[in-house]
Amino acid sequence: MIVLKPKVDFAISVEAEITPELATMSVEEISKFQVYYGKEKVELGELFEISKEGDDAKLVLDGDFGKVKWVGARMEDGEIVVKGDIGDHCGAYMKGGKITVEGDAKDWLGAEMKGGEITVKGNARNYMGSAYWGDATGMSGGKITVEGNVFNYIGEKMSGGEMVIKGNAGDFIGTEMKGGTITIHGNCGFVGGDMKDGVIKVKGNFEVVPGFKRVEDGFEGDVNSGGKGKIIQL
Amino acid sequence: MMLHIKNGVVIDPKNNVNAEKMDVFVKDGKIVDESDVKREDCKVIDASNKLVVAGGVDMHAHIAGSKINTGREMRPEEMRVVRNIAGKFRAAIGRVLLTSPAIGYEYSKMGYTTAFEAAQPPVGALHTHEELDAIPLVDKGALPVFGNWHLVFKYVAEKDIEKLKTFIAWALERTKGFGVKVVNPGGVEAWMYGGNCKSLDDSVPGFDVTPREIITSLIQATEELKLNHSVHLHCNNLGTPGNYQTTLETMKLAGKFSNDKRQVLHVTHVQFNSYAGSSWRDVGSGAAEIAKYVNSVDNITIDMGQPIFGHATAMTGDAPFQFTLHKLTGARWSNKDSEIEGGAGIVPLIYLPKNPIHALQWAIGLELGLLIDSDKVVLSTDYPNGGPFTEYPYIMAMLMSKKMREKELERVSPYVQKATNLAAIDNEKTLFELIHMTRSLPSRVLGLDNKGHLGIGADADIAIYDLNPENVDTSNDFETVYKTFKKAVYTIKGGEIVVKDGELVKDLWGTTYWVDATGKVSMEAIDADLDEYFANYYSLERSNYGVEEAWLRNATKLIMG
Repeated sequence: MIVLKPKVDFAISVEAEITPELATMSVEEISKFQVYYGKEKVELGELFEISKEGDDAKLVLDGDFGKVKWVGARMEDGEIVVKGDIGDHCGAYMKGGKITVEGDAKDWLGAEMKGGEITVKGNARNYMGSAYWGDATGMSGGKITVEGNVFNYIGEKMSGGEMVIKGNAGDFIGTEMKGGTITIHGNCGFVGGDMKDGVIKVKGNFEVVPGFKRVEDGFEGDVNSGGKGKIIQL
Repeated sequence: MMLHIKNGVVIDPKNNVNAEKMDVFVKDGKIVDESDVKREDCKVIDASNKLVVAGGVDMHAHIAGSKINTGREMRPEEMRVVRNIAGKFRAAIGRVLLTSPAIGYEYSKMGYTTAFEAAQPPVGALHTHEELDAIPLVDKGALPVFGNWHLVFKYVAEKDIEKLKTFIAWALERTKGFGVKVVNPGGVEAWMYGGNCKSLDDSVPGFDVTPREIITSLIQATEELKLNHSVHLHCNNLGTPGNYQTTLETMKLAGKFSNDKRQVLHVTHVQFNSYAGSSWRDVGSGAAEIAKYVNSVDNITIDMGQPIFGHATAMTGDAPFQFTLHKLTGARWSNKDSEIEGGAGIVPLIYLPKNPIHALQWAIGLELGLLIDSDKVVLSTDYPNGGPFTEYPYIMAMLMSKKMREKELERVSPYVQKATNLAAIDNEKTLFELIHMTRSLPSRVLGLDNKGHLGIGADADIAIYDLNPENVDTSNDFETVYKTFKKAVYTIKGGEIVVKDGELVKDLWGTTYWVDATGKVSMEAIDADLDEYFANYYSLERSNYGVEEAWLRNATKLIMG
């Protein structure tokens, strides 16, 4: 298990594609791992205190990581526990393993993820599980659970996997969605624009965009794009 | 700075030097005779066992202007590859669609020192030149498009070649353009009404002219003006099964013209215009017929427009074709309008080896490269339409090695075996031929005497590669050939070392060539017409139209006289 603690309050963002794979290295090697602090390339050891306990593939981020981006991006295995907040792009493109965030997550959480599990105890922001701009497919597998609220554009172009939001969500949920399930326990805004397939379940209030038709157990659409997506009121 | 490039193995097709061990001397940005330098003042570059050639010349790429910029805007996914972090050099990003600095840097790393923007919307000339001015390390030029300009239609319809010549001279001066580009003549105007001109005799709506008349008149005017570069033509009916016949008919229009120095018609990215068959179900290759014709005449040159498997972005002034492509692939589409001059379209594209059509296009490009005399076919990908220019070494290696082609054929759709003759072509071009097709030939086609060779007085644009032509077996060592041409050991631009071992070492700005033919015509002849068209049809005033030479970072005026 590797524990990272920030040495300073970061003035600008840190781009650190760190995964539990770090646990296979020695503390010395880890401290030489290259990350970007703004546009400068620096070594992980310059920004964080690093300690190692045992060889299990686990990464513990202890402190405020709200300005640290790309944590767990492309990870395939192991576990990351974030004791505070985490920055943008956490778990982007991830294929497997587990990320637990005890604080809040920012934008692009689990964007284009293919597998694995992300749990956020606090809130998350925009573009959770979405496709990056210009790409054809967002989240295609795995599971994201958020105990709190999320913002807009959740699950854009999502094609598989599962997303559970225990609080409220913003507008444009599951836009151009192609598969998978989004469940929102609270309220949200517009849902399912240009949806092609998949299921969105909402317990609270929500708004349907024109282009969905009423069916027995909810709505189906978006008919404008020949879609067979489902919106179900829980 | 003076340079002494020592013991290199030189290939210089223009001067009939084939793999000879010799020294090259450079002074004040030019190649000079040994007697013109003091040896002790020269910086010596040891080129022992290395290939020394002129810097590469790309005569057809889309590197600046509203098309590539719209491509960048509509393809954010292209902008995630970081090639260089700002520091000593400028920030450079892009996968296939590169930012302006990345374009200069990537050409230079590959040993290319000149690149031309092949379709400049005249009304967007300022934008094009602003972008060209942001491309480092290469010399540049831009070809404004004429084939759908209302004033061209007017003079063609009136059969007034004198006025057409005057208009071309006026337009080249105003746009700081280099030559006459023609894109789907008449077809883009027809597109304004949702149509196209698919054959040479389709009438252009609203004008009493046909593509046949437009092309013929523009060739005649260009030849009478004796411009550096010939008419540079993107044919009608591009991207349609059976279109090789339109291409052949078009090529025949050049029949009655000739020029001692160069071709009278350059037909561009011919791969997209060499399809046989009657539909996408039975589409085949028309490359053999095209090759037969091009080989039989001496006044036509072509470039390949070779597709590279992977990402690309279709962007041409051929707006109706771009719409067809969008309908065919379902990909994003953007349309551009340039007032009374034509238009353009942009569609993202990916070439997949297993897709029968894409594999066919790939094979046709190679067939053209192999079957056509290497004195008539220039290497190009029509960047970014066929893919990245950074894969030119792939095309070079493919044309030189049947073994490599056999290996590549195994991974592409078997449709290629049925619809083309590629597998049966045994021809392997030589290194000498490939150096010609990437250096001396494009320079001759453009009419740039000081480029593409290493003779005394030529610009000191030199590339040195880690390859000894005496020891390399290009048929079998295709992987070495590919890797070698990807990264120059040295790239020398205007006598300065800008790349060493494939890495940038110095940043500098090249020049922008433009052609001034105004001295050969009397401008008053078209004054009233210009006033009328600007007053009635343009969205801007005549006095605000065009680019002044002083606005360019570093311009070189070539005076026709």
